[in-house]
Amino acid sequence: MRVLIVEDEQSLATEIETALQKNHFLCDTAHSAKEALDRTDTGSYDFILLDIGLPDKDGFWLLQEIRKDHSETVIIMLTARGEVEDRIRGLDMGADDYLAKPFSLLELQSRMQAIIRRKFKLHDQQLTLGAFTIHVKNRTIHYEETEIFLSRKEFDLLNYLLLHKNRPLSRMQLSDHLWGDNADDEYDSNYIDVHIKNIRKKLNAYADTEWLETIRGIGYKIRTDA
Amino acid sequence: MRLYTKLTLFAVAATIVVLGLFVWQLPLLMQKIASGNTNKNLIQQREKALSAIQKNGIDYYFQGDSAYGSYSMLKDEYISLEPYYTGADLTRLQTAERIIDGDTINYRILIDTFAMQQHVYLLEIGKKITSIQEDSVALQRATISVLIVLTLIMALIQLFYTRYLLKPLASIIRNRLIKKSFPFREPQRALTTSTYDFRYLDDSIAQLMQQVNHAFEKEKEFTSNASHELMTPISIMQSKIENMLTDPELPAGTVLKLEDTMRIMKRLKKVVNALLLISRIENEQYNRNDVVAVKSMIREVLEELQHRADEKALTVEERLTDGVILYHVNRDLLFQLFYNLIHNAIRYNRPNGRIIISDRYVNQEYLLCIEDTGIGIEAPQHERIFDRFKKSTSQREGFGLGLSIVKSIADYQRIGITLHSEPDRGSQFELHFPATHLTK
Repeated sequence: MRVLIVEDEQSLATEIETALQKNHFLCDTAHSAKEALDRTDTGSYDFILLDIGLPDKDGFWLLQEIRKDHSETVIIMLTARGEVEDRIRGLDMGADDYLAKPFSLLELQSRMQAIIRRKFKLHDQQLTLGAFTIHVKNRTIHYEETEIFLSRKEFDLLNYLLLHKNRPLSRMQLSDHLWGDNADDEYDSNYIDVHIKNIRKKLNAYADTEWLETIRGIGYKIRTDA
Repeated sequence: MRLYTKLTLFAVAATIVVLGLFVWQLPLLMQKIASGNTNKNLIQQREKALSAIQKNGIDYYFQGDSAYGSYSMLKDEYISLEPYYTGADLTRLQTAERIIDGDTINYRILIDTFAMQQHVYLLEIGKKITSIQEDSVALQRATISVLIVLTLIMALIQLFYTRYLLKPLASIIRNRLIKKSFPFREPQRALTTSTYDFRYLDDSIAQLMQQVNHAFEKEKEFTSNASHELMTPISIMQSKIENMLTDPELPAGTVLKLEDTMRIMKRLKKVVNALLLISRIENEQYNRNDVVAVKSMIREVLEELQHRADEKALTVEERLTDGVILYHVNRDLLFQLFYNLIHNAIRYNRPNGRIIISDRYVNQEYLLCIEDTGIGIEAPQHERIFDRFKKSTSQREGFGLGLSIVKSIADYQRIGITLHSEPDRGSQFELHFPATHLTK
């Protein structure tokens, strides 16, 4: 997948690029609206990450310009302003999603993954985890024909680990995702352990969960071979 | 009291006082004028009488008698003439009784002596007092009526003119001061009046408003810029650390240190975010058109916080009325408001404590009450807990912004907050939703 990162802050652009390249995205960067238009005129992108605060042009204007010729491209707005009306305005103008700075790279990748799933109808996909099958859209997990009941947070946690499978996620990253801005550092990070314990307990009643690994001192990871 | 009312009252009072004074003094004045007039009249008549006597000769009047007297038919006036022997010259005006035809009548009398043919004579000309008074009373009545009419006309003119004159002031008050909520958005039309003072006042107020607006815009801009300037470096740092953490070769110790750094950065981010939220609320950047079902929102909040309540083994009693809908609120802000209050109720509770969330209607207000059995807040702190960055002494954590956010959100949506709290007994936050939130 090709991604264009439009961000005037060079070092931030580089970090985003580094993170995405590790996930096998092909990245180009543009540091101004003009550069961004040059890029989109010559190449086609699956994703454009668009910073609203550009030095030469208003990000909203650029958004409209790009949308004119690229209706299929997924555009995610990035902004430090985070004002509510900006969010609404951006989505109205055809942005697919919106992330307020400072965002975590993990969250950015999750959003991108979610959009990819939606776009390529991977939504309905059944995923296999050991002896369990997960239906992401219906938010259910089955062992053979039996549905196992997980609480909302428990399912979110499992789903998030699965989305970033084979990658260790720290307790803080997980609690950030589950509780967002309301996350209470120490407290919720530790509470992730309780959730994991509950998930293991519920699933272990049916089959083993060795695919859900504890990374000592850091957090957890889901290991799959697929 | 309004200026117009004051001026009106003053005009009326002043008119009444002046009029009263005049009416009170009028008889005296009239009498003085009348008597002065009578005196003048009597003197004139003396001249006439003397010239008549001169012309006709004194004997024409005496005709052999020792005195001469004549009076008008109704005895209003009389004239008498008699020889005078007592010597000294005598001219005077006096009021005295005279008996004419058996009637005792009060007269204003001119007494004069004059010499003619080696004899001195005494001349008396009198005018009846009652007739003078009658004249004067009639005059008084006429004067008072005319005066009253004139005064009324004057008062009316004054009232209307005052009203006309004060119109610009009323318009300044109406347009510039009443119903003005900050920031002043709509452009201001200048006042049209020929009164310099009002124009000056209006211009000054308009100028002040502009300055305030300007300062406000500056502050808004500053907040926006500051947030951008702060958020971008935080964003970069966070991304850098996140990327470092994905390196599988990283020693465990380094990972932990990086995690710690992330945590500190998150705290920084949280403070900036909270300040931004407050500033955005204060800059009115949130709509107030959402419709919220209270019970389901509270349940949502409770679900979010359930694990924390469970860990402290708290009993949460939600006793809300079914189907309460709030209008003209902002969903996200209201959620935040409930979240912060319930979060505090959990955070500052004792293990095995209770949280009671109840509601009731009082005086057309909807009251939502969040009660805990926690550490409570000392009375002197009650005023200060909503201030930014203030911590109560018993508070060991938190950013000191949670309740400031609560206060900003409540103020913004015109929700009242009252706090009842006793140390070691618990706190009770009451949210007052006025009637405007209960109807569409």
